[in-house]
Amino acid sequence: MTEPRIKFENVCKRYGPLTVLDGLNMEVAAGELVTIIGPSGSGKTTVLRVLMTLETIEEGLITIDGEPFNKMRSREGGLVPASTAHLRRIRARIGMVFQNFNLFPHMTALGNCIEAPIHSLGLSKAEAVGRAEELLDMVGLSDKRDHYPSQLSGGQQQRVAIARALAMRPEILLFDEPTSALDPEMVDEVLQVIRQLATEHSYTMLLVTHQMGFAREVSGRVCFFDGGKFLEEGPPREFFASPRHERTRQFLNKVLAAH
Amino acid sequence: MNWDWQFTFEVVLPRLLPVVPVTIQATVLSFLLAVVLGLFLMLLRISRFKLIAVPAGELIELIRGTPLLVQLFFLFFLLPEVGITLPPLTTGILGIGIYNAALCAEVYRAGIQAVPAGQWEAAKALNLGAYRTWRDIIIPQSLPPIVPALGNYLIGIFKETPLLSFLAVGELMHASKLIGSEYYRFTEAVTLAGLFFLVMSLVAAVLVRMVETRVSRSILR
Ligand SMILES: Nc1ncnc2c1ncn2[C@@H]1O[C@H](COP(=O)(O)OP(=O)(O)O)[C@@H](O)[C@H]1O
Ligand SMILES: [Mg+2]
Repeated sequence: MTEPRIKFENVCKRYGPLTVLDGLNMEVAAGELVTIIGPSGSGKTTVLRVLMTLETIEEGLITIDGEPFNKMRSREGGLVPASTAHLRRIRARIGMVFQNFNLFPHMTALGNCIEAPIHSLGLSKAEAVGRAEELLDMVGLSDKRDHYPSQLSGGQQQRVAIARALAMRPEILLFDEPTSALDPEMVDEVLQVIRQLATEHSYTMLLVTHQMGFAREVSGRVCFFDGGKFLEEGPPREFFASPRHERTRQFLNKVLAAH
Repeated sequence: MNWDWQFTFEVVLPRLLPVVPVTIQATVLSFLLAVVLGLFLMLLRISRFKLIAVPAGELIELIRGTPLLVQLFFLFFLLPEVGITLPPLTTGILGIGIYNAALCAEVYRAGIQAVPAGQWEAAKALNLGAYRTWRDIIIPQSLPPIVPALGNYLIGIFKETPLLSFLAVGELMHASKLIGSEYYRFTEAVTLAGLFFLVMSLVAAVLVRMVETRVSRSILR
């Protein structure tokens, strides 16, 4: 039996008195694209941030291919808090695309895409540039390589951010509402890139989005997140056609009415 | 009021010009001390360990909250009491340097905290180490507000050096006071000292402005 690529077991995350993840369980198979939907403020971003190790968790276990992640196996076989080196090794397998792009404003598009490959993966500059140019070409921005983020539109910035994440050769890609900060006319150019990643590549992807049409089209599975855990999940066609929970129905009605 | 040109050229200038380097030396060394020590103070101040961060914060507040002249006297009279005797100029540089280090520490902190949290997160998500994150991501983005502030402190320190005359450091103000009391004529010596400070401040301000535009042009687009 193969281990799921990502597995959350009874994960709890609290901010003071506020419990954001409340015994969360989730399994994602290698190559699967899972969309997470849910009301804003419910904790969808937190799920991704915990996985990216930007947040620590209070309880539970996260494994990647069966390897514990927030904890690591000690020599005696028990679980101890993960060391920095262990975290960096696991983190290298995951890439994240942020809602607000978070590009480095003092570096060009190319500079953004080669910084980490050179200084984290240890690639030579020539190698890193070659790979970055391929990726910028893939997201349709080869002519913008020497532009600074402030000289690019939101959609272009987000595409650079995707290229920057891909340049690290991750196996797992996390997208946190990648089109929410964009003007409507730029949403499609970014979705097109994600669509291409989903169909032509074998990344394992977690996508938080309010673009229901897109979720239905690309995901293998849709999960509805509410109250600190996944309330309901299923293949997109069934999920959207016949949601089982009242909360899910209410949410879908609200979101679909707004679009 | 009468101005005596002969006195100016034969007594005042020959005695003031040789001490100009003392003022400049005090300024430059105090500034360097402030810039470097300020960095250490800031690092302590933003430490994850409360046992370090809180006392460092208190120390910075204490230094910022008392007059520089009081601190200079404090060092001047107290250090010998604990067995440390330093030349007055060294004590003065130490005093001005420490005082401005506390100011610089807050400038650094403000500059670094102005970098959005998303930049730290992007660096972490890209698996950059601490050194690279500081060097390539955080510091370049915090410099544009820090550099002009440091420039202003340089000019400020320059204008604080006359306080060293209270420690009998032979800098410009001290020399002009001596001339004044020797000849019972203060007009020429004090005026020249003032003019010198004015001219140097203006020159320094222009230089600082030039550095500032260069930095912001090369870092922020
Ligand atoms: N650093 C933080 N400190 C305190 N509360 C936080 C922090 N980050 C997020 N939260 C809270 O956690 C909840 C979930 O946030 P988030 O994961 O961003 O939700 P979503 O992405 O679903 O909108 C929200 O109520 C938010 O206010
Ligand atoms: Mg969110």
